[in-house]
Amino acid sequence: MKRTSLLWLAINSLALAGLAVASLMITTVARAATRPHYGGVLRLAIAGPVPSLDPADATNVSGQTAIQRIAPLLFNTLTTLDERGEAQPSLALAWKSDFSSQRWELQLRPGITFSDGTLLTANAVAASLRVANPRWNVSPQGDSVIIQSDAATPELPAELALSSNSIVLREGGKLIGSGPFTAAQWGPGKSLVLSARDDYWAGRPFVDSVEIAIGRSPRDQMLSFELGRLDGVELAAEQASGAVAGGRVVNSAPDELLAIVFSRGVQSPEEGRLRQALGLAIDRNLLNTVVLHSAGEPAGGLLPNWMTGYEFLFPRSPDSQRARQIHEGINQSSAWSLGYDQTDPAARVIAERIVLNAQDAGINIRPNPAASPDAQLVRIRLVSRDAQVALSHLALMLNLATPGSQRASSQMTSSPSTADLYAVENTFLQTQCVIPLLHLRTSVALARNVHGWSEAQDGSWNLPNVWLSPEKP
Amino acid sequence: MTFRRKLLVIFALTVFISVATVAIIVSVLARRAFEKADDERTAALVAQFQHEFNRRGEEITARVAAIAASDAATRISYAFSRGDKDYAPFLGDARTIADNQQLDFLEFVDGQGTIISSAQWPAKFGYPDASLPLSQPPQNAFLKKEDLPDGEALGLFSIRRVEAGEGHDEAYVVGGSRLDKQFISGLELPAGMRAMFYENFNRGFSPQSLIDPSGSSQDPQKIASFVQHVLEQKQESTTLIHWTSNPAEDETLHAIPLRGLDNQIAGLLLVGSSRRQYVELRQQIRSATLFAGGAGLLLAILLSGWAAARVTRPVEQLAQAAREVALGNWDTRVNVHSSGEIAELADTFNHMTHELLEQREHLVRVERIAAWKELARRLAHELKNPLFPLQLTVENLVRARQQTPEQFDEIFHESSTTLLAEIANLKAIISRFSEFSRMPQPQFHSLQINDLVRDVVKLVRAQLQGPDRAAIECTMQLADTGEIAGDPELLHRVLSNLVLNAMDAMPQAGRLTLLTHAQENSVSVEVQDTGTGLTPEECARLFTPYYTSKGHGTGLGLAIVQSIVSDHGGTVSVRSGPAQGTTFTVVLPRNLDKLREQRNENQV
Amino acid sequence: MRGKMQPTVYNSRNPRMPSRPIRRSLLFSFLLIIVSGWAAAQTPNWHVPEQQLADKISAVTGPGAISLELANRSSLTRTQAEEIHRGLLQELSSLGLRSVAPEEAAATINISLSENLREYVWTAEISQGKNEPAVVIVSLPRTSATDSGHATPSIILRRTLLWSQPGRILDAALLNGTPQRLFVLDANSVTIYQMLAGRWQPQQALAISHSRPWPRDLRGRLVLRKDHLLDAYLPGVFCTTAAGISLTCHESDDPWPLGVADPPLNAFFASSRNFFTGALTPGVGKQTSAPAFFAAAPLPRDRYTLWLFTTTDGQLHLLDGFTDQSAATDWGSEIASVHSGCGSGWQVLATAQDSDDSKNDSLRIFEVPDREPFLIGQPTEFRGEITALWPQTDGASAVAVLHDSSKGEYEAYQLTLACDQ
Repeated sequence: MKRTSLLWLAINSLALAGLAVASLMITTVARAATRPHYGGVLRLAIAGPVPSLDPADATNVSGQTAIQRIAPLLFNTLTTLDERGEAQPSLALAWKSDFSSQRWELQLRPGITFSDGTLLTANAVAASLRVANPRWNVSPQGDSVIIQSDAATPELPAELALSSNSIVLREGGKLIGSGPFTAAQWGPGKSLVLSARDDYWAGRPFVDSVEIAIGRSPRDQMLSFELGRLDGVELAAEQASGAVAGGRVVNSAPDELLAIVFSRGVQSPEEGRLRQALGLAIDRNLLNTVVLHSAGEPAGGLLPNWMTGYEFLFPRSPDSQRARQIHEGINQSSAWSLGYDQTDPAARVIAERIVLNAQDAGINIRPNPAASPDAQLVRIRLVSRDAQVALSHLALMLNLATPGSQRASSQMTSSPSTADLYAVENTFLQTQCVIPLLHLRTSVALARNVHGWSEAQDGSWNLPNVWLSPEKP
Repeated sequence: MTFRRKLLVIFALTVFISVATVAIIVSVLARRAFEKADDERTAALVAQFQHEFNRRGEEITARVAAIAASDAATRISYAFSRGDKDYAPFLGDARTIADNQQLDFLEFVDGQGTIISSAQWPAKFGYPDASLPLSQPPQNAFLKKEDLPDGEALGLFSIRRVEAGEGHDEAYVVGGSRLDKQFISGLELPAGMRAMFYENFNRGFSPQSLIDPSGSSQDPQKIASFVQHVLEQKQESTTLIHWTSNPAEDETLHAIPLRGLDNQIAGLLLVGSSRRQYVELRQQIRSATLFAGGAGLLLAILLSGWAAARVTRPVEQLAQAAREVALGNWDTRVNVHSSGEIAELADTFNHMTHELLEQREHLVRVERIAAWKELARRLAHELKNPLFPLQLTVENLVRARQQTPEQFDEIFHESSTTLLAEIANLKAIISRFSEFSRMPQPQFHSLQINDLVRDVVKLVRAQLQGPDRAAIECTMQLADTGEIAGDPELLHRVLSNLVLNAMDAMPQAGRLTLLTHAQENSVSVEVQDTGTGLTPEECARLFTPYYTSKGHGTGLGLAIVQSIVSDHGGTVSVRSGPAQGTTFTVVLPRNLDKLREQRNENQV
Repeated sequence: MRGKMQPTVYNSRNPRMPSRPIRRSLLFSFLLIIVSGWAAAQTPNWHVPEQQLADKISAVTGPGAISLELANRSSLTRTQAEEIHRGLLQELSSLGLRSVAPEEAAATINISLSENLREYVWTAEISQGKNEPAVVIVSLPRTSATDSGHATPSIILRRTLLWSQPGRILDAALLNGTPQRLFVLDANSVTIYQMLAGRWQPQQALAISHSRPWPRDLRGRLVLRKDHLLDAYLPGVFCTTAAGISLTCHESDDPWPLGVADPPLNAFFASSRNFFTGALTPGVGKQTSAPAFFAAAPLPRDRYTLWLFTTTDGQLHLLDGFTDQSAATDWGSEIASVHSGCGSGWQVLATAQDSDDSKNDSLRIFEVPDREPFLIGQPTEFRGEITALWPQTDGASAVAVLHDSSKGEYEAYQLTLACDQ
């Protein structure tokens, strides 16, 4: 034993000299896993327009991602989705439905206050939900809220987790929430300063305040980020793989659908075959790996595989030969125009690549960023990690609702099984109105002193858990 | 046309033709000079373009060579020689490098021509670019058509192999500049010229393929056929383009085909030279000509007027004098204050009138003598005829007194009758002469000439058909002559004389025709007979008093006729020939003014 | 049909609305947890889904010759996939579908074992002739993946999974005895488990009452006592079983015990934050305060105890009763000292993050011979963040709580050090 100690001492004394060097080396490769620090100002930027902070404002489609990110900072929803996509209590502690899944009773968490000190009541919740969902019949009942709808809504708890269903106290044009932050300054469409609520029911956020610059382009954001003026910025898909000077990149699961959406339904069987051929002609893998630097995954279905488990069943590999066979003998009357977002450089390359792929299969399509093209390259965020909710929302956004699917979903009184969901999604795809291309990750570049970042699946940022280490970036 | 006018016209024409000729010559010379200058400018521009083209080519070649030697190119070449065909790391490289090197086109391709990274069409990675001459990459820059997502473009390209050391697969850098407005704008153009570029994509003429830095909003279709023509002929050509109806907008277009690497015509350099200067010059020449011509004409008119006046005044005086002479003013004289031929002419004229006057007087004198001789002869003849019976009768009485006084009484009675008859005859002769000398002035009355003719015919009709002579057929052809003013008595005598004359001319029967004609200001009466006719000499002397071709008569009849007709302001003429009969034509002015004058005089 | 059998649907976790189905689901989750704890040894029952899938395939093809290919796209192991393959073939053959070579088959069936967030999704693409393939799907709830594939490379640190649950574990304590008991502290309760038949069976849940909202980065300390069962320290709340078996909680800012040392050291915890204020009682020697810190670890020396503090400013402070020595280190904020008997006898476990963008933490072992920490061996990596690290009462082990975000579970590990000789 004594011999061992002596040996240890010898080793130690030899190694002591190298200690400083060793710890320095470790510093470069390892980062301390410290407990979160309180305090500091988190400076972020958001590209999308945010004309209004009202999460129920459905008119603002283009800024949906942005409002989804901001809304949970100011407002709470009755439920939240956990990492498995299952509804968990938030403002509602418990819920139950009747047999038909048309009437739901949600018991509210007691003692919650809005940021102005008003107590959260069933009346306030009901009023807020009515604004967001005019079709629902919402009524308060004691400390519970009753939600009734015409059709069965087995996914209501998951739906209530959507940021559009945030509980908002609307008082004389002011929007008051029960969220972790309050809006200290609001320059509509330009900037938002949030300050942490000390009395937040789920614990005060770590940072003291959050400054969000709104409507900044990704390039502008990155410039500010590299100059150290911002702590977190959104990254364009193609930027995500590159190294970010002075920071790190956090990627989400592929939660954004890149797809070709046709402006009108299939007018003839020939057109349907042409669209099918186009879907087969596109090499999604190269689009993903080369153009977007593997920022996503090739998509055959509307929802990603991690959400459904069956997405691989939809064809997504290019098959130029089969594409030719399918539309053989069909005379395409005129070239289709493919619209894309001009402000997105990657979208242009993707559109041009699609055109090249289509030409290989003998399909005539031209890139056209102008308004009202035959088909449009769109990016749609999946609002929920609940597959059914996400699919419903997608169908709504893409105008894909078919009578069959509506009937099918209205008849379901419990959550649809995966097989049901597959059938519905397959029906949507059979309309040939949409050709899924990729599921993209969303990425955020963060300064080195930003910790605890996690992005919820619906695109919202879980900023209350973010903390800033005292070290300078 | 007067002489003066002729002179004016000749002067003006001369001036006009001279000015026009000068203008045409100046215009032609100007056009030639302009075209020559135009050709020179075009040639200079083409040379400048070629120079610029070559300079750009060298610049591009240098840039492409620099890129080929850069680390980026080596990295790409290295990555692809390892066999991992991953385009992702290089997707944006071409664009970035192209931006840095100020190239419009940049592609990295592997040995097979597969695009690794493309600046102009980033999405085309992995696709082959078949148009590249990789087997024998040219050293210099070359023209090439480049496919772009939104169509085609023409560019000046250069190609370089990436020098990445041994053991590496081949990789090439293909870079270029677009032949666009900027490229063309870089050319320094003289005023009035412009350069355009037509990209030939073998699709027929397309206005979009025309690069026109001047930005003129003209109708490109107007040059479509010219462009097509040059592309078909494949050689330089020039044409004149009428952009609008305004000739100043016209443009001379010179097309120079530019050939690509495959020796096909990749594009056309179109050098446009505005015709504005030329047209304006031509306009100025035209205006100057018009002004000079106008002024010249005016001056010519003034000068020629003055000159013609100077020249023609004596001539006019002469002409006037001649007219005077013609009117009978034989003593007219011309006073010409000039010299030369005109003065000589005037002298000659004056001499001529003088001579004429003298000749006439001489003639008058001679004729008067002749007339007097004739009168004397006729008087002697007329008086001798009765005197001879008187002499015989008196001698008979004397003898009867002497020989047979018994019978003397009887004889005396008889002889005194004869004597009285002859004396009466003598008296008649004398009264006729006296009557002729006392021809009264006509008293104008309104009358119808046809009525007079009918009256005369009515009077003589009995004689015409008389048993003592051969019958004469009388016909009248009377036109509607209308009213005239004349003395009915005198005119009746005129017609009677003429009819009796005619009857006398037809002893062996014949036809008498009386015709009236109406003219605007006159009426005429013709009296035709089918008698023996007259010789020209007889015709000439017919109206001479006391001349007669007949065996009887005083020879005063026609003289009286002429005297009366003349007093009426008319004329009488004869037309005859031997065995052709004779026609007398009396032309009488209507003299209606005389009627008014007479009425006025009567009123006064 | 499901609706008829289960007319009312409830959310799964609701302590305030207890009902029969919740208890049932709780029971099910306990079973799952136990299964996961013993996953390597356990074989899940795939029979039902195999039968369902076989039935659905048979309904499409009818009896006949088929060729079957199976691809595993899920987190199931190869062995499990092969097992399912065999089971499926059996089920199919019992329905009259013979497996033959592809060229002889009337129908080709491509089975994919996939998964989504909640379920295993098994799909069968059935191709018959030139028709579009028919697709049938069955799904079954996912069990937690096991950690069996992960072997600790270090021979120094041994970890034993004590417990895992979806909710945040603040601390856990193991009470050796017969039977062995496990105490798990979370935001709402202290749950006591008992080892019966090789499985932890829940014995009792002692609710923690509190009036103020918990701070965001909630921490708690569970201390087993000799005179009574246990004390639980939470921000602003102190709970004890001193009055019996029930847990009584009251608002209190009593200092929390730090480490295992003689004399013991207590420190005051900021009730609305996640750190200790720095006020010490009774103090280290004469030092009664330190900078605000996250964790502390004692290293007993012959004549004194050297206390290591990871302060909120990211530094390491060493207090020996007289001096406060600070050093900038790359340590994480969680530290605990363990008496191993190896080396100098006491080592310090300190958290560290793998790399910048990793959510996986690692534990490193340091010797502190004098005042300079010295790294021993390789870091031990964990699949997730270490959210708590507390020494056990005996001083010979520590408990680390790991948050595995991929599974969404919190796992409590017992950490011991073994001499590598």
